[in-house]
Amino acid sequence: MIFIILQIIFLISLAPLVSGIITKIKNNLRLRRGQSVWQPYYNLAKLFSKDEVCSEHSSWVFKITPFIVFASSLLALFLVPAFIAKSPAQYLGDLLLLVFIFSLGRFFLALAGLDTGSSFGGMGSSREMFISSFAEPAIVMAFFAVSFNFGTTNLAATCGPGALKFSSLIAGIALLIVTLAETSRIPIDNQETHLELTMIHEAMALEYSGPSLALIELASYLKQIVFFTLISATVYPVVFCAQITPIQALTGIIIYLAKISFIAVLIAFTEVFLAKMRLFRAVDFLYFSFVLALLALIAATLGA
Amino acid sequence: MHTYVFLSGILIMTYFMVIAKRLPPLISSFRLQSLFLFLFTVSLAISGGEPSLYVVAGLILILKVILIPTLLLRIIKKIKVNENLGFFMNPQLSLFTALLLTYLSYLFTFRVMNLIDRMQAASFALALCVTLLGLFIMVFRIKALSQIVGLLVMENGLFLTAVTMCRGLPFIVEFSTFLDIFISVIILGVFVYRINTLFTHIDVNKLDNLKG
Repeated sequence: MIFIILQIIFLISLAPLVSGIITKIKNNLRLRRGQSVWQPYYNLAKLFSKDEVCSEHSSWVFKITPFIVFASSLLALFLVPAFIAKSPAQYLGDLLLLVFIFSLGRFFLALAGLDTGSSFGGMGSSREMFISSFAEPAIVMAFFAVSFNFGTTNLAATCGPGALKFSSLIAGIALLIVTLAETSRIPIDNQETHLELTMIHEAMALEYSGPSLALIELASYLKQIVFFTLISATVYPVVFCAQITPIQALTGIIIYLAKISFIAVLIAFTEVFLAKMRLFRAVDFLYFSFVLALLALIAATLGA
Repeated sequence: MHTYVFLSGILIMTYFMVIAKRLPPLISSFRLQSLFLFLFTVSLAISGGEPSLYVVAGLILILKVILIPTLLLRIIKKIKVNENLGFFMNPQLSLFTALLLTYLSYLFTFRVMNLIDRMQAASFALALCVTLLGLFIMVFRIKALSQIVGLLVMENGLFLTAVTMCRGLPFIVEFSTFLDIFISVIILGVFVYRINTLFTHIDVNKLDNLKG
């Protein structure tokens, strides 16, 4: 029990650092010094201490959305197994619930984008819905392939003693492509952009300021680490142990950190070497990940 | 375990070639596919202890990873044609067809061939799939250079078959195949160059137009 609480606290405190590391690697690849890896923490601290400005035309949807988005990301964090072979809420839900939890957060964020009536917010909402309608089938398909391998859709079971399989590897790559879309990374979206016309995720959160913005940003960091954890659990499952000792937990943490940093490096490299796609080319990209996920499912049904 | 990584690398690169819209990405995906094939062969040579496989792997590295893609890229630069591949079938439908072909090859392997070893079965199915997708690229793309790349992909698939089923062919056969492939790429490259100077394009479906 104590390990599970520790795992949650550890993941929450790690989440902004992952973003910081990715930004640092990207800057170093472009031969810039770049900001410190702790910059996301400073940003969050600054935003939490600021006052909030709220449009007088906005409704309760606008005020409630940051809490719903943050809560959905936090609940998703409770569902994934990271370095202990038990997810804290393993009897609460499975892989499909995870998809729906994220859709809930996305739905409310899209509503909030429309709520203030600014043109950029509505554009961001419509684009986010457009992209997610292609990303979600791919996630579900990849999850099906994984759960076919393990015989259950429960997330905690995906950390059984499963060896690296052909199908899980392909499903992991499909999930990696979807993660680029879900965490608003470069071929689909650009986190660093200051041009509202090219924004997707940021355009929805454009009207937010102060603590609300901090909550939304923290929620996106959490979402990112949930997806990274899912990929790592798919490709290289957590070692299962019935009774957890501190040493096992420690080795689990080290393996987990290695996996996460590998994925972070991979994402940073793709972001530097790919250009942002046109919105309608993004469909092809996500369709490709859907086909890969379907391929993984075929391989899983045939036992490879 | 790491052989699975190389095999899935080969498969994903083949899928990239199916949806590639321009010539340079097609050729660089071929280069990466050959790189994964090289790594797979080396891992087989290490586990199997067949010394001639090392030489074959070296030949793959020199010819298919370095020489042939560089040659093809140089031809593209020289003939200055439009880089778009030209599709007889749009990318979405091509990808779906590729999926069907993959499923068929998996079905064939698991139902008809009845291989006992899981690893061998998976790699045989993959080899069959790569061969079929090479044929697919040859048939459904308009530019003449994609026919060359399709042929090379088919050759990669056949090599994969030979390596997984019987640990490679006799060395002299392997060597002469590589030599043949290299010569044929040079000849076809010159041929494409000549087509371009004669017709000012390399679209294979317009070659039967009369030129007067």
